[in-house]
Amino acid sequence: MSAGGKIGGPILEVDDVSLSFGGVVALQSVSFDVRKHEIRAIIGPNGAGKSSMLNVINGVYHPQRGSVTFKGASRRDVDPHEAAKQGIARTFQNIALFRGMTVLDNLMTGRYLKMKCGFLDQALYWGRARREELAHRAKVEEIIDFLEIQHIRKTLVGRLPYGLQKRVELGRALAAEPELLLLDEPMAGMNLEEKQDMSRFVLDVNDQLGMTVVLIEHDMSVVMDLSDRVVVLDYGRKIADGTPDEVRNNKDVIDAYLGVAH
Amino acid sequence: MFYREAGQFKTTYAEDQRLFPIRQDRIGIAILLALAFVGVPLAAAMPATAGLIDFNYWFSGVLIPFLIFSLAALGLNVLTGYAGQISLGAAAFMAVGAFAAYNFELRVPGMPMLASFALAGVVAALIGMVFGLPSLRIKGFYLAVATLAAQFFVVWVLTKFAWFSNYSSSGVITAQKLVMFGYAFDTPVKRYLLVLAIVSLMALAAKNMARGAIGRAWMAVRDMDVAAEVIGIPMMKTKLLAFAISSFYCGVAGALYAFAYLGTVEPAAFELDLSFRILFMIIIGGVGSILGSFLGAGFIVMLPIFLDLSAASIERSFGLALPAGLVSNLTLILFGALIVFFLVVEPNGLARLWQIAKEKLRLWPFPH
Amino acid sequence: MQFFFEVLIGGLLAGVMYSLVALGFVLIYKASGVFNFAQGAMVFFSALTTVGFISMGAPFWLAVALALAAMVALAFFTERVVLRPLVNQPQITLFMATIGLSFFIEGIAQLTWGAQVHALDLGIADEPIEWLMRNTGMNISKFDLVASGIAAALVAVLAVFFNKTRTGRALRAVADDHQAALAVGISLQKIWVIVWIVAGLVALVTGLLWGARNGVQFALTFLALKALPVLILGGFESIAGAIVGGLIVGASEKLAEVYIGPHVGGGIESWFPYALALLFLLVRPEGLFGEKRIDRV
Repeated sequence: MSAGGKIGGPILEVDDVSLSFGGVVALQSVSFDVRKHEIRAIIGPNGAGKSSMLNVINGVYHPQRGSVTFKGASRRDVDPHEAAKQGIARTFQNIALFRGMTVLDNLMTGRYLKMKCGFLDQALYWGRARREELAHRAKVEEIIDFLEIQHIRKTLVGRLPYGLQKRVELGRALAAEPELLLLDEPMAGMNLEEKQDMSRFVLDVNDQLGMTVVLIEHDMSVVMDLSDRVVVLDYGRKIADGTPDEVRNNKDVIDAYLGVAH
Repeated sequence: MFYREAGQFKTTYAEDQRLFPIRQDRIGIAILLALAFVGVPLAAAMPATAGLIDFNYWFSGVLIPFLIFSLAALGLNVLTGYAGQISLGAAAFMAVGAFAAYNFELRVPGMPMLASFALAGVVAALIGMVFGLPSLRIKGFYLAVATLAAQFFVVWVLTKFAWFSNYSSSGVITAQKLVMFGYAFDTPVKRYLLVLAIVSLMALAAKNMARGAIGRAWMAVRDMDVAAEVIGIPMMKTKLLAFAISSFYCGVAGALYAFAYLGTVEPAAFELDLSFRILFMIIIGGVGSILGSFLGAGFIVMLPIFLDLSAASIERSFGLALPAGLVSNLTLILFGALIVFFLVVEPNGLARLWQIAKEKLRLWPFPH
Repeated sequence: MQFFFEVLIGGLLAGVMYSLVALGFVLIYKASGVFNFAQGAMVFFSALTTVGFISMGAPFWLAVALALAAMVALAFFTERVVLRPLVNQPQITLFMATIGLSFFIEGIAQLTWGAQVHALDLGIADEPIEWLMRNTGMNISKFDLVASGIAAALVAVLAVFFNKTRTGRALRAVADDHQAALAVGISLQKIWVIVWIVAGLVALVTGLLWGARNGVQFALTFLALKALPVLILGGFESIAGAIVGGLIVGASEKLAEVYIGPHVGGGIESWFPYALALLFLLVRPEGLFGEKRIDRV
């Protein structure tokens, strides 16, 4: 549970979103909202459309129907990099780090939108460009401290173990100082200790940095402990929406997970 | 042991971000630059050493083409190595640079030569951006095909439209004399120093871009463009900038190729096989590495010379007459074999081998 | 109007020759996912080896058999030295390796047989078909017609091979996913050798036909480049696409040269197919018959 009392009004509203690929329906008339400063979980059996939902929110997929309202601005089709400019950052289910670069460089790419110097300035690496590079380096180092990855900052990302890669990916998303953070299964494939570390980071991100977090997660104990509210998807439809306790006892949710035919 | 970093602590980010953070590297580069700018020309001038080797041949036939091809390789590395956009058209942009510089010099009275070169680069950059437009929709070797289109089309245009070569027969142009700010670069050593200066500055600029935001953006596009977009990196701007800067470098290299090296060029000198040679340079030297561009260029320039010298010395020692074309065929065979060898054994080329060597130097002569 | 048909048919027949070259590419790409830039060099090498043996006194059939044996050896060599060490590397790495391979083959070919142009006589004259000339006034070469027939026969055989035989199915499996094919027990090595032998055979036929028409010379290696627009139009994985693409490229190239060429100074054959291919890439990247690629995030 996040520090209570800070949760504000809706920052994100998903309204009647439907998405299909050819004949395959990924999402069907899904509506829910996300309040500022809360931790919202999206759960559901495999293939329920959770990743697709995240992809719609940050513009990788464009829904056929419905709209997404972020910070008051409503849109259906948005480019991923527009969404980034608006203040949405995310991590991916299959780690999408830049394998050819070091941890430090990966985090620095997260700062891209905040760097203003043109390429000519960078080519000369004088005055303004140099100051900017160093200022952003300092900021990125704060995140490195926060995530406790100082010892691997110069390591090529491709060489890191899976758990650390996931942490670096979180760091890259944090580097953009987003208002909305989308985490796609941040704890997949981790052991208990790594999960505890990552949970702590997610809580700290929400608590200390004030970010709103939407996360997809399969581990029920994690979801119950971390999130303020939960959305449950099944076969592309929303079947439950509420606090973890409400959702846990919802019959439809239990049926969906147990695979009862419906 | 020579290469230990122990004791060199960085206390500020500025120190950590330096071009050469390790003191040994700084000393090495300083020595290299001193040798290149001062040492070699001095040795060529002083009577004591001037006769040891044929300096004029080494300047005109080895060092100058090495530097020019390094510049072209740098250009291709920006596009293919850093930004991951495969290109088979590097030679075409060299051609644009060469002919553009010639035409600026010819038709604009009083144009400073340095400006001609720079503008030639800009023209190449603009054309590069046009041919880079397909990269917004296609990737991989489909893009290679698009760059092939550029390669063939550019050479055709330069051959067909005689205006570019000032209506000379067979499209040959004779580059004007190298005169900048009233100073004539008419000896090999002077041309060498000019080319060295230009290439060093442009290499420094390339290195700065590579480690800055634009370099990271290029590498992000190369490694995973969907993720790059999600972070906010604009695809179009980033890719087109890569094409532009790459073509600029190749264009200036082409201008230097015509003005400081060959003296006369024709469109046929910039055909597909030159593009392949430059591609080989970055594969062997190391894709995505500034140092690699130099190493690869040096290797590809030196190999035929080395084979020629070996063949000549074998002929002399054994009194044989080796069949004509033996060396050129051997060059083909060796190039081909080396490409496959490097792709299999060390895809990151000579630059990586150099890095590994430095790491071993940390401990040598101790085993561990 | 008659002139138009003459140019068109001439272009189509030339296109068949392009299809032949493209076929070699499609075979290897279909079966191993590798874009074999060395196909052009293989055409050159096989043709050169044939005329080389002929010039040493061997009868035609023996020279061809020996050239085929050389292509088989080349297939084994390529699999061992290039393909096996680079298993599961990205496509672009393999592509660059085949560029290196092409240089290697060209060097060996010229080292062994010399660099002069050789003439090749297949016994089919490159002269207009009498009957057609008399009745319609159209000038269409006997040679082109025979070449088309041979190409058509070859394509039919290959299509059957790919779609109806067990080996053909294994080849398609390998093209899809190396690791998965291994998991099912398909021997990658064997498959690749087979495919490169077949591609070598196609290269040999192509080399003989092209060599008979234009002389066996180094320029044959650039055929590889002509095949690229064909493949883009037709799709990289489709034999039918190679045919159709070749026809389209051949016809459009000739038509463009005859009708557009004079306005821009001629010689547009060198880049027109590429411009066409480029247009296609922007509109339909997978080609007429290719498979659409979907990237999952």
